[in-house]
Amino acid sequence: MRRFLYADPTVCVGCRICEAICSLHWEKTINPKKSRNRVRRVDPGLDVVVACRNCDQAWCIEACPEEALRKNRNGIVIVDSKKCRGCGACVEACPFGAIFLHPDTQKAIKCIACGFCTKYCPVDTLQILTDEELAALKQQKVIQHECGNLLDELRVEEESEKR
Amino acid sequence: MMVKKGKLGGYAGQHLHVDMTKGTCKPIPIDKEFALLYLGGQGFASRIMYDRVGPKTDALSPENILIWATGPFTGTLWPQASRYVVAAKSPLTGIFGEAHSAGHWGPELKFAGYDTIIVTGRSKIPKYLFIDNGTARLLDAVELWGRNTAETEDMIKETHNDRNLRVSCIGQAGENLVRFAAIINDYDRAAARSGIGAVAGSKHLKAVAVRGGQDIPIAKPDRYLEVIEELHRKMLASPFTASRAMYGTTNLVELMQEIGRLPSYNMRSGVFAAYQKISGEAIKKDYLVKPRADFACLQRCGRYTRVKSGPYAYCGGAPEYETQSAMGSRCGNDNLESILYGHHLSNLYGLDTISTGATISWAMEAWEEGLITAKDTGGIDLSWGNHESIITLIHMIAKREGFGDILAEGSYRAAQRIGRGTEKFVMHCKKQEIAGQEPRAQKSMGLATATAARGADHLYAFPVLDEVGFDQEIGIRYGTDYLPEIGDRLNPKYKGVMVKENEDFCAVVESLGVCKYGTLIPPVLFYEDIVKAFDVTVGHSISEKQLRTIGERIVNLNRGFNVREGIRRKDDSLPSRLTKTPAPEGPSKGQVVELEQMLDEYYELRGWRVEDGLPTKRTLNRLGLDDVIVDLTKLGIELPE
Repeated sequence: MRRFLYADPTVCVGCRICEAICSLHWEKTINPKKSRNRVRRVDPGLDVVVACRNCDQAWCIEACPEEALRKNRNGIVIVDSKKCRGCGACVEACPFGAIFLHPDTQKAIKCIACGFCTKYCPVDTLQILTDEELAALKQQKVIQHECGNLLDELRVEEESEKR
Repeated sequence: MMVKKGKLGGYAGQHLHVDMTKGTCKPIPIDKEFALLYLGGQGFASRIMYDRVGPKTDALSPENILIWATGPFTGTLWPQASRYVVAAKSPLTGIFGEAHSAGHWGPELKFAGYDTIIVTGRSKIPKYLFIDNGTARLLDAVELWGRNTAETEDMIKETHNDRNLRVSCIGQAGENLVRFAAIINDYDRAAARSGIGAVAGSKHLKAVAVRGGQDIPIAKPDRYLEVIEELHRKMLASPFTASRAMYGTTNLVELMQEIGRLPSYNMRSGVFAAYQKISGEAIKKDYLVKPRADFACLQRCGRYTRVKSGPYAYCGGAPEYETQSAMGSRCGNDNLESILYGHHLSNLYGLDTISTGATISWAMEAWEEGLITAKDTGGIDLSWGNHESIITLIHMIAKREGFGDILAEGSYRAAQRIGRGTEKFVMHCKKQEIAGQEPRAQKSMGLATATAARGADHLYAFPVLDEVGFDQEIGIRYGTDYLPEIGDRLNPKYKGVMVKENEDFCAVVESLGVCKYGTLIPPVLFYEDIVKAFDVTVGHSISEKQLRTIGERIVNLNRGFNVREGIRRKDDSLPSRLTKTPAPEGPSKGQVVELEQMLDEYYELRGWRVEDGLPTKRTLNRLGLDDVIVDLTKLGIELPE
């Protein structure tokens, strides 16, 4: 089952620690352009962590003329940097903008859902999820949002009944 | 990329020299010795300013220089590593001027290949500086001139077709040379004080846009994360972090009210009856959308707020405590939506909210006393709490229209111009408006305000541990010998120790490019943490003693700059309202600031002559500032031995 990096845009505060951690982990330096994920503030109130979704039908794989991209056993899209020639066809193909060219080598880099960054997230919203898990998370949030006040009222009634 | 042999990690390694007159941009490598003497940020700016801006330079002339400077920790994983400083001779105070900001601009400057930008001269037509991954050029900004900061940032991003550029810019206030104009980056982060926005305006430099792609090299990457993890763990474990995330600085209104330290009615009093209406809780309840963080920030005190409808509808950056007090309690204003909107407007125009609110509150008191009338204001009613007038005046100040043109000079000059006894209501030190920190309720803040190099300022020393209940940390930081007096906010004793030590530490913090949150308050990270992080980041072993000396060196360099401008003990002063008139009400009722007593102690500790506040030759020599001795002596200033 495919897994990917996810952060709730309404919870993420946009500190970009995950970007810096990623480049440090893979490149031993701090450079967000070498990071496999990117944090984008799309609205003053929404901070989105952009990372590879490891799509089942991965357009990047289909687009690559060098066959440098493939899916591994765990459903993660992997770049063979020996084959990659840095043409950027994958960048063009990705609907999420989640694959990048390394600024020094010009070869494709992307998140492989290693999860190293997740433990540094100060608001604990960064996580590696499957689709099922993400759906469950969203359901929880909708229920809280839609029924939160109702539940509070019920609780108050229960308490007053006890008294 | 590994750190090259003989090079320092953490630094991008270059200054960028920009000559607005000639239109040239030139990179200059940063000397290793220079870096280790002054660290970066405030330290770099202080040295460059001392060397290049003399006492004859008018702040708004092409001869003044404007410096943007980051530090070796800016853009790294130190908790809250987003800071940069902008420095110039201040058009408000006429002395050393600096302002600090956070956001993502500073880190991006380093990713673009530069630690510092040094701007000289004046362009004939408006320009903006575009630094694109190592290369820099000045581009035409005629279309941007006259635009507010948000429009400017958006237009530059559109021009370069890149939403991820970072922009630091001025609004109309800077263009119109308002003496307390700010520089704004990332839409709502402000390098606010000292009127540095007007210096940018005088040079016709509208903005600095940066786009990075380069490494900030880490000297010891294998050990780096271990050190950083420990710092992050300590930071997140502090109970203050949770409170900061929930309120930012906005709930300081409640805390300050509790100890009588919330200035109201132009600092007549330190309590405000309607404080709950402008409180952090009130903002959180009805207007807060979410907290936001600057680069590598665990404290996330930045916030995003929205007023949904009515005349003050907006969405964007939220006010800090300082704006709540400046445009709220200080003006007797309990209309929270007007404060939120006033803050937003100030960001758009590029105004310092502290000086804006404080200048309006001065006018309001003069109005009440009948010294300023409708004839002066063009019919605008300046009764306490008239929020519509406050908003009107913000527009007029930024545009220098009517009465706003006078207020745009700052309260000190405005009072000089109007006269009629309004001078005694100016709450300033060295011509800069005092921040929202009523010093009669906390004596250390009174001393800090008087000694700060950029004129009235709470952040140059940022003494806050004596506010309430930090005795254990006070013992660790200043020594247990000074307890209990040093921890008593109303006792002037040992406040010289606190302010002196804090000024040195703050200079180190601002030179490294990190935040005072986490270092000063909550008091989690201190010299020993810097020593560890400096080693793994920069790759140079530095001791606590060396760091303390660097802090002292920077403070003395700032003093040297100001001494050259004529600043002496007489200028390290506070309005008589704070030193002679007892606080009229509240928990600190009856208190005054015992400034002279604290100054004596402070100068003694600094190694400055107590009579006039001149640094002694011995002190300057000890800090390696012999050139300052020579320079000041040459100018006929007789320094004490």
